Amino acid sequence: MTKLVEWLVGVTVVLVGWAVVSFDLLDLRLPDTYREVAWPMPLYLLVSFGCYSLATVGYRVATFNDCEEAARELQEQIKEAKEDLRKKGLKM
Amino acid sequence: ATAVDQAVGMSLVVFSLVLFTYYSVWVIVLPFVARDHILHNYFLPREYSVILPGVAAIVVLICILWKNRKPKKVD
Repeated sequence: MTKLVEWLVGVTVVLVGWAVVSFDLLDLRLPDTYREVAWPMPLYLLVSFGCYSLATVGYRVATFNDCEEAARELQEQIKEAKEDLRKKGLKM
Repeated sequence: ATAVDQAVGMSLVVFSLVLFTYYSVWVIVLPFVARDHILHNYFLPREYSVILPGVAAIVVLICILWKNRKPKKVD
């Protein structure tokens, strides 16, 4: 049983469960409020996943570990290297 | 992270939290709340909870496709 098949089986089971509740395929006659909550579920999960992704990106941008000293040192070294190469005849 | 980065990052986090909370209340909580409760005044009719994400998704898709358009190669 490959991972793909496992995923497809899982997704199908969830989808069938959702369809049965949303469209009353088995004539279970569930109370209307439950049906009203169930039917937008796929879209709701998608929106939740989008919000989670957005929050993760935002959080990681805010807490990114800048190394300002290392950045300055690197710029210095780039200048030195350019000078060195220019002296040795490389046209920039 | 620079101050601007932190501001942008944190505002993204806050925005997604607000959006998630509003949408969750809209989709999951409201059906169980009595029809005449004032809470319903703060939320659009239920159909929009499906239409608005759909429209937003289409707009995002169009923006991505527009940014990635490349001219046809001439043979």
